[in-house]
Amino acid sequence: MRNAIVTDLNRCVGCLSCSVACKAANGVPVGSFWNKVLRIGPNPKAEGSVFPDVEMYFLPTGCQHCSAPECVKVCPTQASYKAADGTVQIDKSKCIGCQFCVMACPYGVRYLNEEERVVEKCTLCEQKTAQGELPQCVEQCCARARFFGDIDQGVENLEAPGEPASFGDDSSYETMKRTRVKLGEYALPFTDDQVHRLPDVGNKPSFAYILRDRQWRGEE
Amino acid sequence: MELQWPLILFTTLVGASAGLFAAQGVYALAGRGAKAQAPALAASAILLVVGGVAVFLHLEHWERIFNGFGHLSSGITQELVAVIVMAAAMAAFFAVLRRGAGVPRWCAVLAIAASAALVLVMGLSYLMAARPAWNNALQVLSLFGLASAAGPGILAIFAKDPKDAGLNGGCALVGTVANAACTVAFALMMAGAVSQFVDVGYYFDPNHPTEAMVEASAFSPFSSGAVGLTAGAVALSLAAVAFAVYGKRSGSWKAAGSGVAICALAGAVLLRAAFFACGGSVFMFY
Repeated sequence: MRNAIVTDLNRCVGCLSCSVACKAANGVPVGSFWNKVLRIGPNPKAEGSVFPDVEMYFLPTGCQHCSAPECVKVCPTQASYKAADGTVQIDKSKCIGCQFCVMACPYGVRYLNEEERVVEKCTLCEQKTAQGELPQCVEQCCARARFFGDIDQGVENLEAPGEPASFGDDSSYETMKRTRVKLGEYALPFTDDQVHRLPDVGNKPSFAYILRDRQWRGEE
Repeated sequence: MELQWPLILFTTLVGASAGLFAAQGVYALAGRGAKAQAPALAASAILLVVGGVAVFLHLEHWERIFNGFGHLSSGITQELVAVIVMAAAMAAFFAVLRRGAGVPRWCAVLAIAASAALVLVMGLSYLMAARPAWNNALQVLSLFGLASAAGPGILAIFAKDPKDAGLNGGCALVGTVANAACTVAFALMMAGAVSQFVDVGYYFDPNHPTEAMVEASAFSPFSSGAVGLTAGAVALSLAAVAFAVYGKRSGSWKAAGSGVAICALAGAVLLRAAFFACGGSVFMFY
């Protein structure tokens, strides 16, 4: 089992809702982020192209909850560990603050919480997913670009919050929280070569990104 | 990334300690420097302890090291094991020195092996694919360079017997030349590693709208932020060679050994500072 998020970059509008929602749900300190949106571009569509032949996309980044996480390997106290759901978690009571995990992360998403003096990063909202809820960044994505679930069951089976129209007459909070759409049914068709990952230097990132009709920037 | 001074001091001082202890082993195998062994051992132990204290300053919660410390795949755990092994080898070395019958061959070989293992483990713990500037054998060799220059330099200060002058000169010269070569090679390797950073073209970070784009060239040892450190490290490694040549010619090893040791240590501090200044993560945009 590998819980992960797949982001449909053709749907992402770069509103930063995921970033803000994460900070609100997890109490992320001012100046630090568990989830950040980068704008990649505008870059030329082809070598030598000039405006208007340019393209760009938004790239929500954070911990990629890798399958072979170097941060876990270098942790001397096993404060960083792989949880049963495939996510990478930190037991803060074991963290000695050596920050070798910060150095070992290829994406630079870990940081030292200056107040608690331990390392932090995205937990994939384990406090919510353990209760069957979606991570806050997925739940709050106003473009319905982020999909969460066990990626070993196939990208198509990952889920996002349902369309309000599907609630029917029951528009209660509970119904809204329970109603889901699957990526395979909701997103536009895509091919395997349109599924990308952040650069892999042996850590095998679990998160993935779908990008159609545009050039993925940064080798994988 | 930011300069991690406790780690810079740890690697420099422990590298010097290992170099000195290994040099003691070499002198013992050559049957030289008998009177220098006791003060050199004390100096090596002090360097190891001070380096060990320095690394504790890096830990935000050192009191938790008993709370599960010992994950064997961790470089820090391996370093602790290697430090304990070298401390045990020092204790054995001390015991045979107290006996007064000279240092037996097995003990000299143990000193060299334990020292080499510690330097190797220290370098390997920074061998991270996430940091292109660090992920090369030359990074490990740069620590061996430090040890091979600082160790003989410090030992030469204690080895006052005129009969030791030849070995002083040989060890110091070989060690400092190796250190200078490793320093230059590591700096060039870090410069070459710039091409390994991910390039996404033009980008913008809306969470930090006033910050400029990060360029891979900022992680070169010849960038404006690191060139002073790199140039200083190379200059000091060459100065150490000059002191070794001076010692070999004059036989005045108290001054020459001091010069070699000071230049090697100061150069290593600057090189380790450049190491951290160039230590960006492969995906450097977060």
